[in-house]
Amino acid sequence: MDLGTMTAQLERLRSDALDAVATAADPAALDAAQLAFLGRKGAITELLRGIGRLPAEDRPRMGAVGNEVREAVEAAVSERSRDLRGAALIARLAAEAVDVTTPGRRIARGTRHPIAETIAAIDEVFGRFGFVVYEGPEVEDDVTNFQMLNIPADHPARDLWDTLYVDIPDHLLRTHTSPGQIRVMRETRPPIRALLPGRCFRYEAVDASHGFEFFQVEGLMVDEGTSLADLKGLLEEFGHALFGVGRATRFRPGYYPFTEPSVAFDVGCVVCDGSGCPACGRTGWMTILGAGMVHPVVLRNGGIDPERYQGFAFGMGVERIAMLRHGVHDLRLFMENDLRFLEQFR
Amino acid sequence: MRVPLSWLRDYVDVDVDLAVLAERLTLLGMEVEAIERWGAAWRSVVVGELLTVERHPRADRLSLTTVTIGSGEPLRIVCGATNIAPGQRVPVALPGAVLPGDRRIERTEKMGIASEGMLCSGDELQLTTDADGILILPPETPLGVDLSDLYGDIVLDVDVKPNRGDALSLIGLAREVSAVTGAPVRHPTVEIVETDPGVADRLRVIVDEPGLCTRFVGRWVTGVRVGPSPDLVQMRLRAAGMRPVSNVVDASNYVMLELGKPTHAFDARAVRDGTIVVRLARHGERLETLDHVVRELDPETLIIADPTGPIGIAGVMGGAGSEVADDTTDVIVESAIFDPVSIRRTGQRYALRSEASLRFEKGQDVPAARVGADRVASLIVAWSGGSVLRGRVDTDPREPGPSRVAFRPSRIERLLGTARAADEQRALLARVGVGTEVAPAGTPVVVAIGTDPLIVEPGVDTLVASVPTWRRDIVIEADVAEEIARVGGYDTVPTRTPETLMPSFRPSPLGVRDAVREALVGAGLTEVLTHALVSPRSAADFPWPDDAEIPSGEEPSGGTVITVRNPLSQQHSVLRQHLPASLLEILAANERHGAERVAIFEAGKGYAAEGGRAREWWRLAFLLAGPADPPAWNRPARPADLDDAKAVVELVAERLGLGRVAFTADRRGNPFHPGRAARVRAVLPESGGPRAVGLVTAPGDLALSGHVAELHPAVAAAWEVRAPRVLVAELAIAGLAGGSLAAPRARALPRFQSVERDLAVVVGDGVTAAAVLATAGRAAGDLLQDLRLFDVYQGAPLAPDERSLAIHLVLQAADRTLTDAEVDGVVATVTDALAAELGGRIRT
Ligand SMILES: [Zn+2]
Repeated sequence: MDLGTMTAQLERLRSDALDAVATAADPAALDAAQLAFLGRKGAITELLRGIGRLPAEDRPRMGAVGNEVREAVEAAVSERSRDLRGAALIARLAAEAVDVTTPGRRIARGTRHPIAETIAAIDEVFGRFGFVVYEGPEVEDDVTNFQMLNIPADHPARDLWDTLYVDIPDHLLRTHTSPGQIRVMRETRPPIRALLPGRCFRYEAVDASHGFEFFQVEGLMVDEGTSLADLKGLLEEFGHALFGVGRATRFRPGYYPFTEPSVAFDVGCVVCDGSGCPACGRTGWMTILGAGMVHPVVLRNGGIDPERYQGFAFGMGVERIAMLRHGVHDLRLFMENDLRFLEQFR
Repeated sequence: MRVPLSWLRDYVDVDVDLAVLAERLTLLGMEVEAIERWGAAWRSVVVGELLTVERHPRADRLSLTTVTIGSGEPLRIVCGATNIAPGQRVPVALPGAVLPGDRRIERTEKMGIASEGMLCSGDELQLTTDADGILILPPETPLGVDLSDLYGDIVLDVDVKPNRGDALSLIGLAREVSAVTGAPVRHPTVEIVETDPGVADRLRVIVDEPGLCTRFVGRWVTGVRVGPSPDLVQMRLRAAGMRPVSNVVDASNYVMLELGKPTHAFDARAVRDGTIVVRLARHGERLETLDHVVRELDPETLIIADPTGPIGIAGVMGGAGSEVADDTTDVIVESAIFDPVSIRRTGQRYALRSEASLRFEKGQDVPAARVGADRVASLIVAWSGGSVLRGRVDTDPREPGPSRVAFRPSRIERLLGTARAADEQRALLARVGVGTEVAPAGTPVVVAIGTDPLIVEPGVDTLVASVPTWRRDIVIEADVAEEIARVGGYDTVPTRTPETLMPSFRPSPLGVRDAVREALVGAGLTEVLTHALVSPRSAADFPWPDDAEIPSGEEPSGGTVITVRNPLSQQHSVLRQHLPASLLEILAANERHGAERVAIFEAGKGYAAEGGRAREWWRLAFLLAGPADPPAWNRPARPADLDDAKAVVELVAERLGLGRVAFTADRRGNPFHPGRAARVRAVLPESGGPRAVGLVTAPGDLALSGHVAELHPAVAAAWEVRAPRVLVAELAIAGLAGGSLAAPRARALPRFQSVERDLAVVVGDGVTAAAVLATAGRAAGDLLQDLRLFDVYQGAPLAPDERSLAIHLVLQAADRTLTDAEVDGVVATVTDALAAELGGRIRT
């Protein structure tokens, strides 16, 4: 074969190949066309194998033309391929359309119990002030629950705690988290900033604001200069943290045998914001915790010198805080564990 | 303590606005819990005057009256009382009136004659106890005036704290008002006209127990005529919450409320030989108390007796036999001081606590014994006639002066964080009647009292407070501090955030519990908190197994059940040892509300007694019932099964960085499904960067143990559970009782390709998956990176007693890419081990 013939054949093949590519209806047809002209046994490939039989001086020219044809066809193939695949994609996407207004496939998610969540929130506030968590036993002895806290047997103040006694001699179910004060003082040295959350028990008929089992968080801070003013400042911060910055707070005298002076801590009513309503007994205030400066006798029982050190303690009912924070009006809901109630705290 | 304002005004002027007074008393520590308008229940009850009183023409017992209320036509009112006469002023309930108890008065017809309203008795108005007669008002009472304007009162309900027994009285609260307003306190004047003979001729008092009765003052009133008290007295007692009884008994109660001094009036006839003995009761003695209950007295009870036997329980309640009666003429007044502890114990033993015993329990002011006796005697004479015999019987007339409490103003400032000069502190104390002076040289300061007192040398600025006898609560320096803070106002204490030293870091004991909670909440379980006090039945009906092994640092379950000695109900009378029964109750309750999918957990305690001590342990329990996933339209519902429960256990183990969880069959049955229950255990892994939890730190240490099971249907039925399958678990976890999590340790990522191989091994159906995995794992050796079960097949072409378990192995070396020969070698070793140890053959 001479150069002229070969060139003419190549040009014909180029034209046929471009036709085949242009008319390929789908990617499969295009692949077939590509294979037919450019594959290992394709027509163009076969033809170009004949270059070796041309005279030596013609070979470079023919090689250049061959490459040009090959590239042209390849370019056409990829362009056609882009077009064909784009169209296929569009068709597929159109077929895949869904009703996007249907809800998603629900993912299971539980909730933390609002009492546990409230304890965590209280923890978080006092944690920022350096308070660390301790825990004590729930079955306590009379000595730690009462006597060490300056509440001797037959003291009239025992009326403040209706007690459940157990069948272990001199033991009871702790009526408050306050015995933890003694345990912490004996376990560590000042400076002390301790927080004691936990379950407590009382002999108390159940109603909307009382239960025989409930949770408290106790706080204890002892150092050389820890004063009533520090307690006041700290509790004000706490009131703001849980009930909103700007919430009014009030300090007034209270009574506990293990604090002197003793304090009742009020926040502005969360229902009426202080203007007076049935929820706050028309006073505009709600008491959220009791506190006071640790009684010198209690410090001494904890092994701390009350001449050198002083401090404060506070104790709060978690249910009460949770009720105020979440607008819950019946404390019994917390122990009933109705999922319709618990799931509101997601 | 209920405080009628009009009565309080006898002792102190109250000129401030009521709301202000209430707030200032509250800020002084005398919390006003309620302000009640006494008489607010009367509406349209006015003062009228009887014009005529005639017999009803058709009923002998009824009278026909005409009454003017000062304006308008006279009213015709039919009345059943017999104590009325023309000219008297009486309360008239007009048609439309409302009386206490929401009783409405309308125009009615009585025996054919219309009645335009009603004349009221003291009882109907709840002013006095007289229910028979109409309340006759003083003649000067203005006509037509609303009764509530005349007799209405304001009653403050004050919460008096247990340390302030002195304020359980009008005079005590008057002192507090005085501290607020500065108005002086007016003490009641006691004037007694005495007659012969001397009381000693008639009355003898022998105190056998001077430790329990430190003072006994007796007075004798002769010639009394028992009857109702004056209306005003009755009204005051009622408003204060006490029932008027008679002029003699009311005098005693009046003085108790006025001075806080309980006294008792005996009918002198019932006191044999005029001899009173204060002694302990003897075995077998009995007494009918005023409430007409016959009580067996025990020998710890302090009693008032005469030579024939008990006539009263000292300080708690008098005897019915010596009660003042209508025909009593001579009255013995007892005004004593008893030991507070003895009275409190007696009240508790007999479940008998009175207004008197509440006051005795809090301790009594010594001089008040004398003052109280005199005041009662004088009021008896004023209200019921008679006269007082000369003198008193007094077993210990010594009366201590004010007590002296040293304090350092500078120390008080350090405690309160205030900056008040000593003079300012002294002025505040003066407002509550506490005098102060510079301490004489060497006066020590009492910092703490009790079994381990602390008394220190005075400082340069030491003062001495002179505390009135009634303020028994001010004993040490800190008490003085409180008094200064209270009178000065807590609002004057500055507000500052603590600037003192911080404690050193302490890991939170809640770390592991919180991590587990978060993981479970994220996995769709809801946290519950249930009662620790349960029914004794619950353990018997739901016998959860005790621990066979326990992670170190955790307390094992088991031991004697702790029972409450004074439970509120049987339902809540013992401390639980295991949690799942509580979860089952929550499931049942939620099913009653229509819940279908219940996935709940609790981290809580179990309790037991051992050797006179209590043990407590923390456990994690969870329960799954109903659909495994929340309902979704785009997913078929699938009921939760044991594999879901096991996955929860595995999730917890994973969160804590533990190794593979091993499940072993537990075929005990009750409370478990005998074929669907597993013991669980997981240990700290050898490597792989575990988080060290709790006290368990050594690889191979047990870190999680317990049971996971499907509940036996019979147990589920006993709890009235509807879900066909209930999955429960209880786990002991290292660190649950107080551990925290360490940060996970990172590993370098592998630099060389891993190789994966799947093997299906056919074994007898008695061979467990755990055995196959364990054998394969052991045989694969160090190159094994991961090993998972990915399919279980039973059926043709396998024999009926065969199962095929497909496992997936991932092999990898840290320092090279494994060759085909190495991988084939491992697979061959695994295959051989499965064949040799378990009789398994590879299915191809
Ligand atoms: Zn309010």
